[in-house]
Amino acid sequence: MTDQSVHIETHEALSREVQTGASFPFWAVFKRELGLYFRSPIAYAIAFAIMFFLGVLINGYLSQGNQQAPADSTYAPLLLVFLLFLIAPLLTMRLLSEEAREGTLEVLMTLPMHESQFIIGKFLAAWAYFTVLLALTLVYHLIMLTVGVPDLGQAFGAYVGAWLYGGAVIAVCMIWTAVTEDQIVAAFLSAATVLVLYLAEIAAIFISSQNPRLAEFVRELGLQAHYNGTLSVGIVRGQDILYFILLIVGALFITTRIVETRRWRA
Amino acid sequence: MIEVRQLTKQYGDFAAVNDVTFVAKPGQVTGFLGPNGAGKTTTMRMLTGYMPPTSGTAIVAGFDVFDKSLEVRRRVGYLPENVPLYRDMTTRSYLQYVGEIRGIRNVRVRAMEVLDRVGLATRANSRIRTLSKGMRQRVGLAQALLHNPEVLILDEPTIGLDPYQVLELRSLVRELGRDHTLLFSTHILGEAEQVCDQVIIINQGTIRAQGSPAALRAEMSRGGRILMRVEGDSQAAATVVRGLSGVGDATVDVLMDGGIVITPSNADIDPRAEIANTVITRGIKLIELRPLAVNLEEIFLELTRQETAQEITEDAATIIDGEEIAS
Repeated sequence: MTDQSVHIETHEALSREVQTGASFPFWAVFKRELGLYFRSPIAYAIAFAIMFFLGVLINGYLSQGNQQAPADSTYAPLLLVFLLFLIAPLLTMRLLSEEAREGTLEVLMTLPMHESQFIIGKFLAAWAYFTVLLALTLVYHLIMLTVGVPDLGQAFGAYVGAWLYGGAVIAVCMIWTAVTEDQIVAAFLSAATVLVLYLAEIAAIFISSQNPRLAEFVRELGLQAHYNGTLSVGIVRGQDILYFILLIVGALFITTRIVETRRWRA
Repeated sequence: MIEVRQLTKQYGDFAAVNDVTFVAKPGQVTGFLGPNGAGKTTTMRMLTGYMPPTSGTAIVAGFDVFDKSLEVRRRVGYLPENVPLYRDMTTRSYLQYVGEIRGIRNVRVRAMEVLDRVGLATRANSRIRTLSKGMRQRVGLAQALLHNPEVLILDEPTIGLDPYQVLELRSLVRELGRDHTLLFSTHILGEAEQVCDQVIIINQGTIRAQGSPAALRAEMSRGGRILMRVEGDSQAAATVVRGLSGVGDATVDVLMDGGIVITPSNADIDPRAEIANTVITRGIKLIELRPLAVNLEEIFLELTRQETAQEITEDAATIIDGEEIAS
């Protein structure tokens, strides 16, 4: 009898009107994804590898410099930016591929939120992880402070630039994770795309003698033209900031559209 | 309330769902019955706003699935086939996650309420990957119930469950059907018969029949067949029946197990008395002579058959017989 009454109570509780309020789905997605980074071994493996690698290189730089080179705080962000072609695909490869393969995307896409919400949530989580990684390298700035007088403006530009650069690269990698259900394929195509954007500057040098205008265009398309020698040395130009922001917005827009077309293909 | 009108989903030349029209009323369980690949999942995906229809309209909980997709999704609870879940999350954190996306207040309390209802309160902190198939199914159901939706759409909810869990889930479906509009799909005929107020039989993307199980049964049993069993040579007895004048050009088939199925060509004739009389006069020992019970299973096979009619009739009769003996 007791069982019976308990049962009825829970049933009533179940069919009670459920209160809903304003919801920010991207925030729920962001929290979950960020939590996943910090609970998965790969995030720690990436952080360990990066910090170890940077540690070895900067140690060599410091010992070689032997108090003759200026104390330079841009070393760590510059290296991190170069390594993004490896880091970003590892961070993004599972974000949408896994959901598509496991079928959980079907649940997400039948919840009351627009696709852009969970794509932005996932993007922000990956970017937040990268931000933590970048913040860890500030330790080298502290070390530089103990051995010399690094240019603070330069360090600021290099770090803010690297942060935007990271966001743009992660956003570009999101496109491939939306395209394929295979994480390895997504990672590979992402790395290739980031390398192409990174090397655009070198490609521009090759074609500059034949077609200087095209060369300039290609150079401006690439990532390096907006970081190396500008933000990285503390020159903050509006056009560079705009380039990274446009890349983020554009890539996320494309990603959203790709996920949307899933509705038509599924 | 679900109102579907001429819903069609086309993939190139192939129509996965073709001109489907039906109404699922609140307080009723509507069963979608069909073989695998009949278009059940595709239809449900259109009703939940996962994919748009090629043509036709569907109004779910008062909103058009195409124009007001978000409003529909707010009011629908959906359990997809194969129950996709995040394996690394705990049961409770998964429900909280979905609840937060849905903007449910007091989501922690609500998650526990629903878990309690599906009998998983003790597994609230277990990782989903450690749960059995039946438990995962219930987590999926809890997810669909979380916001107490007007409309519940469950895609093959009993698949992969053990018989005890199946019974449990069926009674839960019946109970939920009382205060929700509940649409569920199955390819198990007995299930549809037991649970549904309304059955929609679908095959190759089109609706073949719809109505209450009782109405479908009544519809199909007119001009019903007769099953006869004799001791000894069934073939000889069949020949005797074939020769009868009063049977009215009946088709007579002998089943593998010796049963004889007589299908009169004219529904108004009941030839049982004449058959019994003749058979006994010929000295054949008659064991059984009765109308072949029509159940949903037979209706289903009748409506969805792709093989020759003969083969199916035999198979169907055998299955029906087997089931009746077993029960």
